[in-house]
This record gives sequence, structure tokens and C-alpha cells, in this order.
Amino acid sequence: MSSHREAPEISKDPVADSSDLYAFVSPDDPDTVTIIANYVPLQLPASGPNFFEFGDDVLYEIHIDSNGDARPDLTYQFRFRTELRNNNTFLYNTGQIKSLDDPNWNRRQFYSVTKVDAHGKSTVLAAKLPCPPCNVGKLSIPDYSSLAEDAVKKLKTGEKVFAGQRADAFFVDLGAIFDLGTLRPFQDKHLVGQKLFNYAGKAVNATDKLNVHSIAIQVPLSTVRRDGKKKVRGRDPGAVIGVWTSASRRQVQVRHGDKKNADVEVGPQVQVSRLGNPLFNEVIVPMAQKDKWNSLPPTDDKLFAAFVEKPELASLLPVLYPGLFPNLDKLNKAKTPRADLVAILLTGIPDGLIDNFQNATGDTKADMLRLNTAVPPAKSPKAFGLLAGDLAGFPNGRRIEDDVVSISIRAIAGVTFALVDETFKPDAAAGLVEQGLSIKNVSSGLLKKFPFLGTPFDGFDNP
Amino acid sequence: MSRVRYGSRAVNRLSRRRVLAIAATAGVGVSVAGVTGLSLAGETTATDDGQPLVISLRDASKGTFDIFSGGSRTTLTDKKLAARLLKAVKR
Repeated sequence: MSSHREAPEISKDPVADSSDLYAFVSPDDPDTVTIIANYVPLQLPASGPNFFEFGDDVLYEIHIDSNGDARPDLTYQFRFRTELRNNNTFLYNTGQIKSLDDPNWNRRQFYSVTKVDAHGKSTVLAAKLPCPPCNVGKLSIPDYSSLAEDAVKKLKTGEKVFAGQRADAFFVDLGAIFDLGTLRPFQDKHLVGQKLFNYAGKAVNATDKLNVHSIAIQVPLSTVRRDGKKKVRGRDPGAVIGVWTSASRRQVQVRHGDKKNADVEVGPQVQVSRLGNPLFNEVIVPMAQKDKWNSLPPTDDKLFAAFVEKPELASLLPVLYPGLFPNLDKLNKAKTPRADLVAILLTGIPDGLIDNFQNATGDTKADMLRLNTAVPPAKSPKAFGLLAGDLAGFPNGRRIEDDVVSISIRAIAGVTFALVDETFKPDAAAGLVEQGLSIKNVSSGLLKKFPFLGTPFDGFDNP
Repeated sequence: MSRVRYGSRAVNRLSRRRVLAIAATAGVGVSVAGVTGLSLAGETTATDDGQPLVISLRDASKGTFDIFSGGSRTTLTDKKLAARLLKAVKR
């Protein structure tokens, strides 16, 4: 998956587990960037009586680097608090919920938004904003869409925010990919699959009809860009921002185990989850180091650069699909560092490799989702993003509809190596390989405006 | 990053007398009772009245303590205090 349960420790702590990060120039307001950080992945819609929520004991952050040093120049912090209305019921709601302050809604969650500048100065932008409820079912919540729309808030400082349950729009054939790297459309070409199948398979979207909790913020471009520029040329280094999200917990928790003393959480915040580019920790970082990666800031990613230069998956593809990747096999055996992947994932793509495009942030190797904010939203987005000539798509930021799994597989298979070595001829299969899914396989659909992710699946119709 | 942003507070903000008082009240690695819960809008700090404080004996042989209070961690070295605490728990 993108980053759902991507490391051993965080897989046991879903409340703090970042699963997807999106950053794109907003199609509904092109003078802003929309950033969405998803947490609490893989929610079954029918989850009563204790429906999913953010962690009151987790600090959620969205970081933006505007000068290429991989340190945050702007951070938005989100803290949550749950309030119970009625101590004498086991129910989430005791009747229909028709508004965000409906007395029938027993267990509500609120959040604050704090802005932290490059010098560490904190400003509380909003102290108590309401989250919408989980989508219990159509009997409990007759008009969920309106309720969720009411939870979109515009702050005085210009940002628009939303925090609450959404339908997970990430699409991946998880079952096949982690079953010995099988891509169902090519299952009959697979080392083991060719003994089982004589036909191409149809991909399955393993994350369809599951919900997630989203923190979404829409920020004026002038707020995120270096020097606060309202207009900037695409070649200007100041057009590019680096984005990542993190979740942290207090270093110490003491469970008193009695009624007199409440549990204690104190000490510095310790980062337990991080996400920049999709699949970085999931597919690039070895399992033994995934927990460590989650604890570190992007400035330490030079420690993992070797895994980008020689990704394990690149060496597996010629083995798993015999005869389809001979040129990649030669490249692997030559032990040539993958400068293309280093550019895409760690430094940004420099000017001159792709016509009229760059999203480079300098020499600091750091996993950040890099977005050239001067590129306007595409009128007809292409699922393969930059690989298909759509400059507004991944790996220039990441839109919800981008097929990041297939893009990443093609890149690792060698299609992007030709950008840095003109003598390299990518294998024909590298340009064809894909997981076989698209945003059309996401049943919820998407909204045309902020927060873009679709209405969460309700528990009544989606057990 | 949060991990980086929140630095340790100076050791001298906690006097030896204060630490001993805490140790006497709390025992080893146990918090002093106080108001729990964190502010929705911001971090608590070590100076917040009544906030819990947790002392952890990280290295008994060197007498190294970590003191967790609000959003900070402070390191303190006190071999005698470490010895007293170890005696208290019969180690």
C-alpha cells in the first residue's frame, strides 16, 4: 500500500499511522495548494459502537519546506479532543444526527490548528473546530454529505481546513502485489504465475469500500512559497515546495491502573510515523529499518539513499518476470546507481531533463513530496502523471487520481533511467507494466471541491 | 520536526531539593500526582502548575536520570539519589 501499515511498529498503532499524503495545486482554487494527510487506515464502515476517530494523544503535523533544506519552514499542527455528552449510554448516537451540534450525537471530536513558522514560533489559528461524525448509516445520519460540508472551515488567515472520516481513494491490488510481486494483468508471465495461469488476470482494488481519517488543508500559494510570492515562474527554485506529514506521541506514558489517578502522558513529542512520497518506506526501506525511518526527519534520509540508488524491487523484476526486463537486468548487474530515482524521490527533478519542468530542491537528499506550484492544475489529468506528460501529476506533488503504484513500478523498472542516461534503452515491458487499476476502481468517487475525497462508506450498506 | 523542535530544558531549573522532594513523594520512576490532560490548542510546559512529572532512572551505575515534565525532558546526574532509590526497591 502507499503507507498503510508500512512498518512493523506503526502497523500496531493505526491511530498514528499515516497512510497517504496528497499535495496538488487546487483545481477548485488554483491560487492555493491542497494537502491531505490520511490516518487511521483500513476502516471497516460498520464499526459500532466504537467508531473510528483521531488520537487525542497524538500530535498530527503537516510540514512544508520552501527553501530546499528539508527542514520545515511552515508546519500545521492538529490536536484532537474527544467529548462525551452522555455518560450513561453505550451508544455513539442516541438518535438521528442532523447537525454538528446535534444533542443526539454522544461522542464528538474537536481539533485545534496551530501554525509554526521556520523559527518555531507557534500561532493558534483555531482552538476548537468540529469533526463530522463517522458515517454510521443512513438511519442515523440521513444527510451525511451536508454534515461533512458543514465541517469545512475557512480560517481568518486564509486557510481552509477539514478533519474527519472520508472514503479511502487509494487504489492498489495489495493481495497480488505482496503475493510474490504479482501484477494480475501479467500473472501469466510471472515466474510462478505462469505455472498457474494461461490468461491475464483482472486487478482487485484491495482498499475499496474502506474508510480513513483525513486531515485536509488548503493554503494560499503565497503562504507556502519562499518569500511569499503570489506569482512565480516554473523555473524559479522558489516555485517548488517539499511536503511531508508526521505523527508524534509523548515520550512517556504511565498507566496508573486505579480510579484515583488518571494516566499520565508527558515529555517531548516523539515521532512515530512519517510520510512524504508514497511507497518510500513501504518498498524502498528494508523492513529492519522501517521503524527507524519513521522516527527520523527528512534531513536524515541520506542514511537511506543507498536503498534508492539500488532498489531491491529493481533486482526482483527480472527474476519474477523472466525475459521481460533484460536491459534492467544489465543495469542492475552493472551496479549503476539509479540517479533517476534519487532525483524523483530525494532531490527533485532538475531543469533540463523534462521539457518545461523542474521540481528540484537542491542537493539535500530528503524524502519529500515535491510540488512545483507554478504548474496549474491539468484540465484532463492523466493517471500516469509526469510519465504521461501531465506536468501536474505525480511525481510533481501527488493528486488523488494518480496511479502512484504503476508510476513507481515503471520508474523502478527503468523507464526514467533514460532521463539521466540517453544510451539506456528501457525494456518494452517497463513502459507497459501496470497494476491494472485506476481511480474508476474507487467506488466512492471524488468530490469536485475541497476536501475532494469522497463521502465515507456508511456502516448500514457496507458491513 | 517535533522531535527536533522540543529541546531539553536546563537542568538547573530543577533544584536538588525539589528533585529529592519528588523522589520522596513518588518513588522510583513514578509520576507525581497532578492534573492530567493536555491542552487542545498547545503543548504544556514544565512550568505549568500541577502538571505531572515523571522521573526515570536511565543508568543506575552513573546515576543518570531523565525527568519528563510537560513537553520537555531534562537529564540529571545524582549517584546518591540513584543509590537511595535502588535501595528502596531492594535492588
